[in-house]
Amino acid sequence: MLPRTSPPSRAIASILRCKRPLKIRRQYATATATAITPAASHERMTRGEAPIARYPPTQPPSYKPPEFRKSQLLRQYASLLRSTPLMLLFQHNNLKSNEWSAIRRELSLALRKVDEARVAAGFPAEQLEEGIKMQIIQTGIFSSALKIVEFYKPETSPSTLDPTDPSAPSSATNPVFKSDGSDLTHTLSKAAHDATAKKSHTLAPLLSGPLAVLTFPTVSPFHLKAALSILSPSPPQFPAPTRRANPGWHDPPVQSGMQKLLLLGARVEGKVFDVDGTKWVGGIDGGLEGLRAQLVAMLQSVGAGVTNTLESAGKSLYFTVEGRRIMLEDEEKASEEKS
Amino acid sequence: MISKFITEVSTVFNPFSPKAKTARLFLSFLPPNARQTMKINTKLLPRMSKEPSFVELKFSKSPSFSMMLAPVEDGMQMKLDAEKLGIKGVIEEVDRHSRILSRQEELTGN
Repeated sequence: MLPRTSPPSRAIASILRCKRPLKIRRQYATATATAITPAASHERMTRGEAPIARYPPTQPPSYKPPEFRKSQLLRQYASLLRSTPLMLLFQHNNLKSNEWSAIRRELSLALRKVDEARVAAGFPAEQLEEGIKMQIIQTGIFSSALKIVEFYKPETSPSTLDPTDPSAPSSATNPVFKSDGSDLTHTLSKAAHDATAKKSHTLAPLLSGPLAVLTFPTVSPFHLKAALSILSPSPPQFPAPTRRANPGWHDPPVQSGMQKLLLLGARVEGKVFDVDGTKWVGGIDGGLEGLRAQLVAMLQSVGAGVTNTLESAGKSLYFTVEGRRIMLEDEEKASEEKS
Repeated sequence: MISKFITEVSTVFNPFSPKAKTARLFLSFLPPNARQTMKINTKLLPRMSKEPSFVELKFSKSPSFSMMLAPVEDGMQMKLDAEKLGIKGVIEEVDRHSRILSRQEELTGN
């Protein structure tokens, strides 16, 4: 007779019950630990690990300390200069804040009128008024930003490793730069500083004293004309608005502020213009479309002239040969008649 | 800079010349209400001109804010060569004469 074994107590039973799965779990655990490392996913096998960037892409290491206000102003001016093709430079002599606000108000009103007139004339709505701004600048920082924009053109973009390229080593940082940032090419980099430190721009003499710039997002002679007639009216070409058409312009703050603004020059499409040149740009009839129409008409007339000239040589040759042929025929006829 | 005795300012400069800095700075040193108390003429030369820049000034005996009531001309005219003097020199010249005028004004007891 088999010895009678008492059934195990509940506690022991529960332990026994868990023991088995515990053992099994431990086996699984070792199995997974060995499985993760060798059996990489298909993507990782084919593409390789993306190289690690050591800094956020929006903050590359910079030569000038980026936390200073002047560094950020330099970046701001450089991007302003890169994005604005038409810029007017004004000297402002002790304008008060109410005069500034009055002038800005009149300017935006006049430019909005131009926008509306353009839409009414059938051109697509551009809303340039929102992009045309008058701002006071720090001259020293602005001149160095101008030099960077004009003279510093990094030809090769920094060598970046393509993380999708299988030959890219996974230990490399992306983009590849030296740790001291000596091969960076952004506005605040050492390369930009070294390339422009000893150059001088033609606009540089203007950049002294209190200075404000009026920036346009596109070269639009219509808007330039409106702005010039508000800010520095000169009667024949840029007449001041009449008291009936624009009573706000004749307010004392606008008048006194406008007398203290002095137009010095302009930068149009990277070229420097003096006051007369600026007025010439503002006085282009019909804007850029008008210029294009003039150019097309000129080219067409030239083309017609060329074809006429080329044709005339052939024609004259034809007439000469033809005349000679007729002459010979006449001579032959005459000789036949004689014989 | 003592600007209250100045009644007329006329400047000529070519902004594209580095020497125009003096004349431009002089204009920016005038007080905000300068256009109400004195005549200011500014002439900009074209970009390629080589003409010299200068600052021409006229003074009155009484301070210029009372010029509208009784303009008493001092008769003093200054034509300052802005290219040689520099802004400090120009201000020194203006102040030298203005101090004389203010002293006279004090002595006459107005």
